[in-house]
Amino acid sequence: MIQVHKLSKAFTVHKKDPGLLGSVRSLFRREQVVKQAVREVSLSIEEGEIVGLIGANGAGKTTLIKMLAGIIVPSAGEATVLGHVPWKRDDRFRQQIALIMGQKAQLWWDLPAADCFLLLKEIYRLPEAQYRETLDYLTEVLGVREQLNIQIRRLSLGERMKMELLAALLHSPRVVFLDEPTIGLDLTAQRAIREFILQYREQHRPAMLVTSHYMEDIQRLCERILIIREGELIYDGSLRQVMEKFATHKRITVHLRPDKPVPELSAELRALGEVLQRDAELVKVEVPRADVPAASAKLLQELPAADLVIDELDIGTVIERILSQRAEVPASELPASEPSAS
Amino acid sequence: MSPRLFLQVLSLEARNRLSYRAEFWLNALVGFGVEFAVVYFLWSSMFRESGKQEIGGFDLQGMVTYYLAVILLGKLVRTQRFEGGVSTDIYEGGLNRYLVFPAGYFPFKYAQHLGGLVPAVVQFLLFALVVAFFLDVPPELRPSPTSALMALAAIAVANLLYYLLDYAIQLVAFWADNVWSLDVAKWFVASLLGGFMVPLSVFPAWLVPWLEALPFRFFFDFPARVLLGQIEPAEWARGLVVALAWCGVLALVGRGVWRRGVEQYAGVGI
Ligand SMILES: Nc1ncnc2c1ncn2[C@@H]1O[C@H](COP(=O)(O)OP(=O)(O)OP(=O)(O)O)[C@@H](O)[C@H]1O
Ligand SMILES: [Mg+2]
Repeated sequence: MIQVHKLSKAFTVHKKDPGLLGSVRSLFRREQVVKQAVREVSLSIEEGEIVGLIGANGAGKTTLIKMLAGIIVPSAGEATVLGHVPWKRDDRFRQQIALIMGQKAQLWWDLPAADCFLLLKEIYRLPEAQYRETLDYLTEVLGVREQLNIQIRRLSLGERMKMELLAALLHSPRVVFLDEPTIGLDLTAQRAIREFILQYREQHRPAMLVTSHYMEDIQRLCERILIIREGELIYDGSLRQVMEKFATHKRITVHLRPDKPVPELSAELRALGEVLQRDAELVKVEVPRADVPAASAKLLQELPAADLVIDELDIGTVIERILSQRAEVPASELPASEPSAS
Repeated sequence: MSPRLFLQVLSLEARNRLSYRAEFWLNALVGFGVEFAVVYFLWSSMFRESGKQEIGGFDLQGMVTYYLAVILLGKLVRTQRFEGGVSTDIYEGGLNRYLVFPAGYFPFKYAQHLGGLVPAVVQFLLFALVVAFFLDVPPELRPSPTSALMALAAIAVANLLYYLLDYAIQLVAFWADNVWSLDVAKWFVASLLGGFMVPLSVFPAWLVPWLEALPFRFFFDFPARVLLGQIEPAEWARGLVVALAWCGVLALVGRGVWRRGVEQYAGVGI
């Protein structure tokens, strides 16, 4: 459904020195800075797939989504979504996609949601019966019936996000782009939105591309993730595989008794694994799975322990490592553009 | 864009604007009074100082009537600035949503613009009533039903023409950090060469052919003279055709600018 081949986007920004003098100077000599936001990204996404797009701030996630939704034109490369080139903005293409941005309202601030939906009904030319049915269903599921007649600007962030989601799905799009749909929401609202997205997937089998900085979202929604670093796609594959690859290690945390001095760790113990943290309160080491019993015993023996916890690396840590280049991704797991029939 | 969508956008915008409080209407009324008073005192003293009976084909009473007409219909022709304007959409990224919807941007904005005009229409009618009841308009300048109808068409075309010019200029926001100065320049030229500041007949004779070749006179001078019954039906029809041709030209320019602009739009604001 989504095919992307070597897509790149460079922004040209005119640099301006601060202050009045800077403004005057820039009248005569404008310094241009080229910012490569997305570099030769290739990928493909199928029907019914929810793919997570992960990366640090400024990695190029939003830029990639904007290109695929047809808002901006790439500087190089190709993409087709549902067989259309997005930035040609054919109505047949736009009729079938949706874009949801957690950071930026798509709905009209001054109108109550009910009016926004009526406008969307005309924009997407939805038949009355279908519109009624979808709207009833969505308001029920999202629990926003009470807020329908309140101006969007007066809604709380969570209520607004639900309205945005509802508005974006009224026309049953086959491709949905979600850029940080849960940003700033409380845990209950985040969960509600996630459940809702999953439910929508069950019923409509759309292709979805989701970005989020909340690992909970990624874990619950996506089987497949894309990791983007400085505009480059550095991982494309299943979430499970990444986790397995990094689950070779576990973490042991020893909470220390406050009344005792902190002893040095023996060389033997240090050889077993990597010491992540060591201070007056706790010692944290990461050791290969097989060495967990030995290391635990040794730690308890050497340290005045109050408590000991063993846990798996969490997905956030794994991603953080990949992003900070502490973990190299094997070449075999780099974007494999499989041919597909969409 | 379907006519239904167009009308819906229009009526939503109108409803939105009509919910303004009473103080908005009061301000409008006071503004109208002040504008009119300034013109009145300015031209009375001009006529007195120069000792002339007629300037540009108008005596004092005629001149004042001309300004009444221009100030009133100007409310229907000029674009009222509001948040959702084209350049704001470009600067703040509000444009994004329209790029995602399967609907044209221009028709959407024009429908909003027309909806936003509804309070202006109410103002126009209100002030026209005030003028009809309280001010002394010379009989030969009183609008007849025919001239009022003819003026309606002239005003509608003037509104479209003005909006198209405004739209093309606002689109410069794709390249410039600020279109405010262009906006000011546009208003200066349009009001000077369009008959808002002074009637065009006041300009020296050699300038007149130039003014007639430009589109600006269709903004204020033409509809005002139609309203005051100074324009024959044949000339009126010819004027409308020329003005519509100008609309076509500006629409083409706007489309070209839009295509280029959106090609390099960076989709800011997220
Ligand atoms: N309109 C623009 N003009 C110039 N540079 C831009 C523009 N939009 C984005 N950039 C730059 O491109 C890079 C990628 O930005 P993008 O918004 O895609 O990041 P992101 O991955 O979505 O980050 P975040 O997680 O913070 O939302 C950034 O360095 C940003 O400064
Ligand atoms: Mg972003």
